[in-house]
Amino acid sequence: MKRREFMFAAGATAGALMLPRSAFAVEGRIDWYTNSDSNILDFWANTVKPAFEAANSGVTINLVDAGDGAGLISIAERAMAAKQTDTDPQADFFESADPHLPSGAIEAGIYANIKEAGLSNYSKVNPLAIESDYGLPYRGSQVLLAYDSTKLSAADAPKNWDDLVAWIKANPGQFIYNRPDKGGSGGNFVRRAIHQANGLDPSLFTVDNYSEELGNETLGKAWDILADIAPALYDGGAYSSGNTQSIQLLAQGVVTMVPVWSDQVLQAIDQGVLPPDTGLVQLQDLALCGGFSRAVVIENGVNRDAALKLADFILSEEIQSAILTELGGFPGVSWDYVSPELRERFADIVPTTIPTFPGGDWEAAINDGWYRNVAPNVDRNA
Amino acid sequence: MTPVSETAAPEPLDQNEDHRRPYGLLLVAVPVLLVVWLVIWPIISAIQRTVWQPTADRGYAFSLDTYAFFFSDRYSLDNLTVTLWTTGMCAFLLLLICLPIALYLRFSTGKLPAYVQSLAIFPMFVPSIILAYAFIRVLGPNGMVDILLNSVGLPKIRTPYLTPWGPVIGLVWDNIPLTVLILLAGLGNVSNQSIEAARDVGARWGQVLWHIILPRIGNSILVALSFSVLGIFSSFTLPYVLGPAAPEMMGPFMQRTFREVNDPQMAITQAVITFGFCIVFGLFYVRSVAKNQGT
Repeated sequence: MKRREFMFAAGATAGALMLPRSAFAVEGRIDWYTNSDSNILDFWANTVKPAFEAANSGVTINLVDAGDGAGLISIAERAMAAKQTDTDPQADFFESADPHLPSGAIEAGIYANIKEAGLSNYSKVNPLAIESDYGLPYRGSQVLLAYDSTKLSAADAPKNWDDLVAWIKANPGQFIYNRPDKGGSGGNFVRRAIHQANGLDPSLFTVDNYSEELGNETLGKAWDILADIAPALYDGGAYSSGNTQSIQLLAQGVVTMVPVWSDQVLQAIDQGVLPPDTGLVQLQDLALCGGFSRAVVIENGVNRDAALKLADFILSEEIQSAILTELGGFPGVSWDYVSPELRERFADIVPTTIPTFPGGDWEAAINDGWYRNVAPNVDRNA
Repeated sequence: MTPVSETAAPEPLDQNEDHRRPYGLLLVAVPVLLVVWLVIWPIISAIQRTVWQPTADRGYAFSLDTYAFFFSDRYSLDNLTVTLWTTGMCAFLLLLICLPIALYLRFSTGKLPAYVQSLAIFPMFVPSIILAYAFIRVLGPNGMVDILLNSVGLPKIRTPYLTPWGPVIGLVWDNIPLTVLILLAGLGNVSNQSIEAARDVGARWGQVLWHIILPRIGNSILVALSFSVLGIFSSFTLPYVLGPAAPEMMGPFMQRTFREVNDPQMAITQAVITFGFCIVFGLFYVRSVAKNQGT
């Protein structure tokens, strides 16, 4: 190559690289956005992207971090505007989004109806996780109980709420949960007590039915339950200040059992923070709350079909197993479609139900009420 | 030697009285404006928002409801009490620990004091979140202290983690450098001659400390304490990670009320009340600075 040609080629390449990267959508390049933590982005970059690109030659994924939920919503709003003017939305796939946001997005037709899209793996999706035809639950996380198996055998581990309370009272100082506003593991333990106090019926609580009267009545009974077990908790009623601190206390052998997020505890076991024989158990009368991340495909994106192929791909056994083993998350598919060996390994955490609890006003009421009624331990010496 | 220097008293560069004033004011204008914009104005606006509240019929009216709630609410008052207790306890312990260190550093010579000084300044360079986790590993349950005690057959300590003593220990450690430095600066005012003179007439160490040293550094003690008290009163990280869930200190309480309970009005009220307490310590500081300027 002559010097002049080289200079020209180098200049053209450099110029092309300097162009804004997402200036226009490219056929065969899925513009993918997320607002999740960096561990999710790493998982996609190191596991999903290479596997998908190897299986589908000619298609690439452009991984973009949209920052936060607001960032993702603004991209969805751009897609709505693009739909009206019949232009290119420059987005194909949201890793985790609520299809009900921004409001009117489904009616505007910017999200693909995944149920009707004819994905070969859609029938495998855990029916408990499906909330909308437009969101594809592909990974989840749920709160469960982790315990030190050297102090408590799997056979004696409590399997329902009453056994758990009996165990906590019989082993004072061996259980701790974190403050409900400082991390979901303690937060969902508190919500499980609320379910317990109200007939194990999660449907009693919806995002818009909070009223002070209903709140005082339903939550008040839960505060009684939690205040009742408080003297038997670690240090006579202490509460750790986050998910990690609970795991730390379990790891230091201070307590025997804590509520944990499934993905965090699996990661902690994987990294050696907790020993490999750490026991995991889910309550069988009503599980502790959890949540799913739902992938959304942009209907009017240039690469809609490729994005749907990607949606199908992340439901494959390969990726779903990797979500369990590498991400420490929950599979989005029913446990029947997870390899038998993994099913065996995670048998204790297989949920029969995945209850959820609404946010909004309920959340504020729980956060305030717990601190006022449970945390001060007013009845500690009474 | 030139005799000129004896006659030439320092003269102002600009001798014209009329012109001198605006220049001086201009020099301080930028910081003053910044303070007004970023500190004074938010304070006024916060106070105004807590007493001038929206009413049911979309108007605004004077109301002290949030203050009345705070001062009639057992839970809020407990939080205020624990904050005052923590601050007072920290101030007391800081004085107890830092005064001997400062006295030692001032009145000893040689290499060892240099090492002691760098050790005393060290906490300044440790971020409090790291301090908090180190604290859990050392003084926490089954931490290093427990392991050491256990190895020589002694029982475990009653760990201060998640009790009100947790933040106290952390905050005292965190505030040692600033307190030592200010006290040390104050001890610079105490001349060796005055101490020697006192010892010549037969004063013992206790008497020297009480009659010669303490009167000279009273101001520094006040400044050191008001500085650390201001920081401790509104501290967040250490009480949040090391303290109990309830009662909580004002820092975590305000943050939680604002974000988790979603009640900005109440959070601002708590902030104004916290500010009210802090301003008292601030006034101590301003008074002692003004007194120093005057003499």
